[in-house]
Amino acid sequence: MSAALNITGLSFSYQSGEQPFRLDLPSLSLASGEQCLLTAASGRGKSTLLALIAGLIDPHRGTIEVAGTNIHSLHGHKRDLFRGRHIGMIFQTFNLLQGFTALENVKAALMLAGHSPRVQQEKAKALLDRLGIARQGALVETLSVGQQQRVAVARAMAVDPVLVLADEPTASLDPENAVAAMDLIQGLCREKNAALLCVSHDPSMASRFARREALNVGEAAASGAPAGGAGR
Amino acid sequence: MTDWTIILRSMRARLFSTATTVATVAVAVALMLVLLTMRDAARRAFDKGGGNMHLLLSRDASPLVSILNGLYYVNSPRAPIQFREYEQFATNPLVEWAIPMQLGDSYRARYPVVATAPEFFTKFKPEPDAEWSFESGYPFAVDFEVVIGAEVARETGLKAGQWITLTHGFPARDGGGAGAAHEHDQFKYTVVGVLNPTGQAYDRAVFTNLMSTWIIHAHDRIEKAHAGEDEHDHDHAHHDHDHEVVTTAADVTDEDKKITNVFVRVKGREGSDSSAVLPMVFDRLRRGQLFPGGVTVAQPKQELDKVWSIVGNVDRIIIAIAAAVLLSSGIAIMLALYNSMEQRRRQIAVLRVLGASRGRVLGLVLTESAVIGLLGAAAGVVLAAVGALVAATIMKREVGLTIDPTLQPVALILVAIGTIVLACLAGLVPALAAYNTSVMRNLRPIG
Repeated sequence: MSAALNITGLSFSYQSGEQPFRLDLPSLSLASGEQCLLTAASGRGKSTLLALIAGLIDPHRGTIEVAGTNIHSLHGHKRDLFRGRHIGMIFQTFNLLQGFTALENVKAALMLAGHSPRVQQEKAKALLDRLGIARQGALVETLSVGQQQRVAVARAMAVDPVLVLADEPTASLDPENAVAAMDLIQGLCREKNAALLCVSHDPSMASRFARREALNVGEAAASGAPAGGAGR
Repeated sequence: MTDWTIILRSMRARLFSTATTVATVAVAVALMLVLLTMRDAARRAFDKGGGNMHLLLSRDASPLVSILNGLYYVNSPRAPIQFREYEQFATNPLVEWAIPMQLGDSYRARYPVVATAPEFFTKFKPEPDAEWSFESGYPFAVDFEVVIGAEVARETGLKAGQWITLTHGFPARDGGGAGAAHEHDQFKYTVVGVLNPTGQAYDRAVFTNLMSTWIIHAHDRIEKAHAGEDEHDHDHAHHDHDHEVVTTAADVTDEDKKITNVFVRVKGREGSDSSAVLPMVFDRLRRGQLFPGGVTVAQPKQELDKVWSIVGNVDRIIIAIAAAVLLSSGIAIMLALYNSMEQRRRQIAVLRVLGASRGRVLGLVLTESAVIGLLGAAAGVVLAAVGALVAATIMKREVGLTIDPTLQPVALILVAIGTIVLACLAGLVPALAAYNTSVMRNLRPIG
């Protein structure tokens, strides 16, 4: 069985404000169901790395394999569908679809992963029931912050992803909700045997993860960015 | 959940913008449809104007005036034709039929009276291949019988068997003074027939025979002569004048026998509408031959084409304006959707993360645009149906041109398809903006 995530020789240069940066990750591999916390001293580059893994941007060098598939070798709608089916993403700001109900937010993920309306309804309802979202027909913006985060988690987990990418999932939450949210994310990933890559600079997170990695992001000028890099 | 859910939610989220955009499109579509329908209907109404007649004779100033007065009753012809002149012409071997007509009197000061010969209902056809048809009753046979047009019947509620009186002259046109229009209460006309609608000015007319009209004119002449005597002899008191002069067909002199128009069909091959001798007859009449006292000769088709070439240019401009309005409604769609893109970028980025391709996102915005176009077109069709009805009513009342306000299916389909295509084109700009939305940039945490 192939690893959930396998990164080798990754290099990506980008511009943040006036400053060019360069992200280097010689190797990172997550086995199926493995959970890993990724920290970066500077606080930079983590979202960029997640976007690279999700295939939203292309690296300049190196390969990223998700469940044995090099996501960057897929093109157009195939890559989008692959992401929709195999990768779940959880954001600091939830990024829920405003104007849609809690149920519709989860169904949207299932729909875009190619599930029929009947399956969407069954799966979304069952998952939200389990997460204790009573007002499934309410517009997401009317839910409490804690409930919104749970809907966001449900949306990421609904498609039974191989890999879950969590970008500062607790940064918008109070400590109590943060604990509940992390319990939920980690618990669901374990249950569904999904690998979890969580990026955060929250020190309280460290104790939750057996495996911790640091991301190396340096100034591009110092390490000699390749010509033609993005953001130049 | 389907893509439609996303489209409908998006439209609902900006309900005011969506509704105003749909309304803009609807007004433009309705304007376009009403103009196209009116143009088409007017064209058809003009086209059948001459029926199966070849030439219209009168003593009006020009052929065009002759047509407007003789076929559309715009004004009363002024210069009369003596009936004996007509009789002489009618016997010409080149003439298949010639139907005399006297115009100038009216009913209820609104409906023109057409005094004519019975052949008007037997030989003349209001449309090249459609005969007269009676809703009830039959053509007039004897003096003081009238046939009324469909519009007259509808507006006045008159039915066969009832009687009416007519007005000598046309009050609205003739004004006051010596020759002022006046009612003839003593002559009662019986309605014997009601025509089915023809879509032409005939629908507003009242038809009677020539003798009935001549008797009234003879009556007026005799009464005037009596009035003259009264002025000479004051002892012969006015109360004497009150006793009614009874005028009958016997009192009608040759001088009273005047007509104003003649419908003519020249001899030609059987079953053919064209005639080899028509150009020759037309030319000779124009040079003052064939008709004793000289006459203004008009070919209805030609004259109506002349009118149409003037009107047609005007309505081409109007249709161009309508097209511009339609185009600007397309721009309104584009603006509405483009402005919404600012709020939608985040939503689009989320959909992309969840697995939607750029193409799918493009399709969502394009479809929304098309849906707005479709809704606008549908609302426009309803609006146009009402608008055409109103326009037709006004046309009938003001111009007397009866127009069928039914929307043309072809125009309807073309305008609807055109609108949706336009909406899609308008949606292309915001759709491309959606297509190019950067997922990364729009997912960044806010604040």
